Amino acid sequence: MKFSNRLLLSVIGISLLGWACDKEDPIEPGEEGDPTGSSSKYIIASSPIASEGVADYLLTSDDLTEGTVSTVGNGKEQDGTYRYYVTNKNKFFSLLYGQGNPGAVTTYDLSSSGELNELSDFQSETVQAFAAVKDDILMAKIPRSGDENALWYRLNTESIEIVDDGQINVVELAGNGERAHFTWLTQVGEKVFAPYMSIKGCCDDIFGTQYPDSAWIAVYSYPDMQLEKVITDDRTSFIGRYFTSGIEEVETGDVYAFSSGVATNSGQNTSSKPCAITRIPNGTTEFDSDYFFNISEASDGYYLTTKTYVGNGKFVLTMHKEEEKGAYTVGKEFAIADVYNQTFTWVTGTPAPEDIQLVTQRNNYSPLDGQFAYVGITTDESSYIYEIDAINATARQGLEVEGGQITAISKLESN
Amino acid sequence: MQYKKLLLLGICCALSIFAYSQNTAVSGHITDTEGNPIVGATILLQEISKGGSSDSKGNFSIKNLSPGIYTVEVRYIGYSPKIKKVNLKRNQTLKLDFQLSESAYGLEAVTISAKSKAKITKELAYNVDVIDTKQLQNSTLDIGHALDRISGVRIRESGGVGSRMSFSLNGFTGKQVKFFIDGVPMENFGSSFQLNNIPVNLAQRIEVYKGVVPIWLGSDALGGAVNIVTSKAPGSYIDASYSYGSFNTHKSVINAEYVGKNGLIAQINAFQNYSDNNYKVNVDVADINTGKYYPEQEVRRFHDSYHNETLIAKIGVVNKSYADRMLFGVTLGQNYSEIQTGARLVSVFGDWHRKGNIVMPTFKYKKNDLILDGLDLTLNANYNLGKEQNIDTVNRRYNWFQEYRQYEGEGSERSRSLYKYSNNTGVITANANYPINERHSISINSVFNSFNRKGSDELYPKNDNYDQPRKSIKNITGLGYKYEISEKWSTSVFLKHFHQSNKYSQSYNPTGNWGDLAYLNQVNTFNTIGYGIASTYFINEIVQLKASYEKSYRLPETDELYGDLVNLQGNIELDPEKSDNYNLGAQYFLDLNPHNQITINGNIIYRDARDFIRPRLNNNQTMQVMDNLFNVTNLGFDGEIRYFFNDLVSAGMNLTYQNVRNDTKYEEGQSVESVVYRDRIPNMPFLFGNADVSLFLDDVFATGNTLTVGYNMLYVHAFYLYWPSLGSDKLDIPEQISHDINVTYSIQNGKYNITAECRNITNDRLYDNFSLQKPGRSFSVKLRYFINNL
Repeated sequence: MKFSNRLLLSVIGISLLGWACDKEDPIEPGEEGDPTGSSSKYIIASSPIASEGVADYLLTSDDLTEGTVSTVGNGKEQDGTYRYYVTNKNKFFSLLYGQGNPGAVTTYDLSSSGELNELSDFQSETVQAFAAVKDDILMAKIPRSGDENALWYRLNTESIEIVDDGQINVVELAGNGERAHFTWLTQVGEKVFAPYMSIKGCCDDIFGTQYPDSAWIAVYSYPDMQLEKVITDDRTSFIGRYFTSGIEEVETGDVYAFSSGVATNSGQNTSSKPCAITRIPNGTTEFDSDYFFNISEASDGYYLTTKTYVGNGKFVLTMHKEEEKGAYTVGKEFAIADVYNQTFTWVTGTPAPEDIQLVTQRNNYSPLDGQFAYVGITTDESSYIYEIDAINATARQGLEVEGGQITAISKLESN
Repeated sequence: MQYKKLLLLGICCALSIFAYSQNTAVSGHITDTEGNPIVGATILLQEISKGGSSDSKGNFSIKNLSPGIYTVEVRYIGYSPKIKKVNLKRNQTLKLDFQLSESAYGLEAVTISAKSKAKITKELAYNVDVIDTKQLQNSTLDIGHALDRISGVRIRESGGVGSRMSFSLNGFTGKQVKFFIDGVPMENFGSSFQLNNIPVNLAQRIEVYKGVVPIWLGSDALGGAVNIVTSKAPGSYIDASYSYGSFNTHKSVINAEYVGKNGLIAQINAFQNYSDNNYKVNVDVADINTGKYYPEQEVRRFHDSYHNETLIAKIGVVNKSYADRMLFGVTLGQNYSEIQTGARLVSVFGDWHRKGNIVMPTFKYKKNDLILDGLDLTLNANYNLGKEQNIDTVNRRYNWFQEYRQYEGEGSERSRSLYKYSNNTGVITANANYPINERHSISINSVFNSFNRKGSDELYPKNDNYDQPRKSIKNITGLGYKYEISEKWSTSVFLKHFHQSNKYSQSYNPTGNWGDLAYLNQVNTFNTIGYGIASTYFINEIVQLKASYEKSYRLPETDELYGDLVNLQGNIELDPEKSDNYNLGAQYFLDLNPHNQITINGNIIYRDARDFIRPRLNNNQTMQVMDNLFNVTNLGFDGEIRYFFNDLVSAGMNLTYQNVRNDTKYEEGQSVESVVYRDRIPNMPFLFGNADVSLFLDDVFATGNTLTVGYNMLYVHAFYLYWPSLGSDKLDIPEQISHDINVTYSIQNGKYNITAECRNITNDRLYDNFSLQKPGRSFSVKLRYFINNL
């Protein structure tokens, strides 16, 4: 009796030991990092693929091109299932998307030892668009029904306080009986460009519209957010997508606008316009009628779902077949669009689209070196960061992120 | 001890057959105060240490006695013993009937009284806990807080009086556990008649069926059912009480019944709750302009008033040839609830509120021995016309310092709404029992639910979507068979047929042109069969074993199928949730000696549940949508021990451990094992318990006046908000230990009662949900008047 008990205990002990070792197995590359104190870290947000209890975990890594990081027993837990991230002035902001409720935004910087260091929290609204603008984070809470006024907030990244706010009547802005729903906010020169979609905002078809064939960009002065004008273009449908950035100011000061052509009415795709990239020349607030980069044509029947700028006129696009058009689809094929030369090249080296479960939608990372972008891809086996080479239109599997999908990739310099 | 006594009894009995004349005897019938037979009561003739026990009909007989004067003692666990002196003459069979009343302490709180309630012997085989509310009648508890003292059950509340309560039983939550009132499903009763506002005084007892639900509670309960029993044996009484407590809390209850000589019966149950709920919380307060937090401020809740008023009136007849009981009634109620916070304490509101009412005609009918001897029929019907309304029209943002920003134009705090809807729910239940013979009986039950939601929002009169049909019909029929194999062994088997048909409409655009909107009406139907078995065996007088199993289903609720039009989008493709529920239990009744009694009860449960309906964000991340996403197992244990010392002390404790694990091995689209496969389900208490001690002092200051001092402790182990295995820097819901005390002074055998209560005496920060702090120390005083047999 005594013997068997002891045996049992030893077996349990050994298995526990084994289990404990297993748990420690995936060594974070960060831990082996530069002993002199690395000067920067990549921040990766990951959330488990599960039907409840889902939270994001913030992980750090020195390298996106190889190794493994895991959320098992590791990472800073973020409250709330849906969180979004933005980096400005070397601070990392973790925003809560709280079903219309206000909530706490957590701010981090990177300590000299390369650890994420929590700075003070502040209270914010659930916002549908946010962007780094100058020294601020500009955020907008946009009512999709009911209330007619969107609220914008200007958060100063130094004081981590909201320093200004204001209202925008989205029904007045749309001026067509529907409401303007900003797809995103982007700093352009000294101004803020806010492309929007026109939505009905009611009647079981909130995001439907009877104006599927126009693009609008509201131009605001900054920091006082006065509406200067609304630029329109009837060659494409709206710019950007819900919760997705659709414009980029490049090195030349020109602004490129990306339209997927995915407007709907009562759940049906109703836009007759192709997926295309248009341009607003440096210093102007008009679309360049001579520039029209037809992506539907160039890709032979695909439309773009997101874009990541890598610099020097090159964008990594996620692409989806046009016969399966949808306003909220995730493109699982990748292409490089050179907006200077209007060239379109498919990327090789990413998993086959049928093997891809998820692609990180926003918050992919590029050092803006004109060559590389880092994109999160979840296959049926694990999640990886792929390094996409925009010059050669190739992709290579890099860092593995164990434990779930990748929701954001960013970078901080240590203090 | 007990064995020896029994052995001795047996020997005495055996010997007596030869020693005495057969004709001299005592016999009789033992019942409880409701007239139900008590099975297994001990009858003892003190002078000769001879006795026996009552049979399954409550009858006993002690034969072969010599003439003389005897002291007859009748005892049964949980009941006050009765003693009677008799003079027995030669060749006389003396008829002696006893009515035992529940002892003052006997079944307080969470005592397993399955055995003590003769009525429940039918369901003995089920894993059932019963709260006898007798001792709670003088407290200010609502039904929810009373349930919280049962093993396996956790009530989680988001705030004070009237706050949202979520109920969990052995790892099942929300709609997976069904509630009944007198056997009638409480589905879609609305916010005016819920666990968080029904006072414990309305209930005579509360039964909690764990995992396996008898068919007479016809329902699609996945993980168990709670039945609130209000009906008592006909009799005239008045029970009225009023309490006042901290946070300006007023509660009153009046229960009265009148039974006339001609069989006329009238019942009134009326109750009211009011509270400002302005208790203090500790929270990071945001600056109204800058969003900057002032950390850890102690502030009062300021927009959390709750009140409800409910009246249940019934009139009818009893003991007529056409009905043993027939009642027509109506339930009328309303409630008003201010919403102080969102899902986290930092999101604070100052004007948003909800209202609801209930207008529900009811009908109840019961007839025993209908056509055939032993054929008992029960019929219930009700229809709820009540409305619910969400009112959010003030364009402000508040902070915890009660400062606010007024914004221009029409707006809201969260989502502008005056949406009002009515679920128009109807329920009909029918239940029939028939004993084929002494050992075999069958029962049949059928429950019919109808649902027809209609709603509108005066802010958006053109939104015709709200006027589309959202109809659902649900019918559950059960067939049960019970076989009493022997006095010691009884088994029930049952089949349940689930049927649901849903009629729904979907908007679509036939041409693609704006305004050309049409609605597609569709019907979907599902049919499923569930089944189960429950068996119990008495090894001897003091040890009982139980085992039960059910293949259970929960049909999707109308909200899940159709959405709530606010945050939840409908999904008509849902499948029922299903589970295999296993229970194994043992009870042990031990009389250490006439003064000390101990009962021990332990259960092992296993649940293998599939296809849980869980929310996920819909494609455009604008609403949540329900889907069959999740499998869960739970291997759990709960145990309870209770000790009685005479009529003076009752003490008990229970502990529940549930190992609720994620059994979803592969998430959709994944070929590798989920990283959280077999991980403990987060945000769910897994180890918790209660302990209580009560002291009963009789004849304090005057004869017939009793003083009761009670103490109750609740313990909940800390648990993680999100998956335990993930992350290193984690959020949790801290350990919860709360202590409540109460003192009751009852005058004239319980006619007048005064109770002083203190809850959370240590003023600890208590949390059931992440960040949502519950009330601190609170006091209340309750006055109650009770008079029986008017």
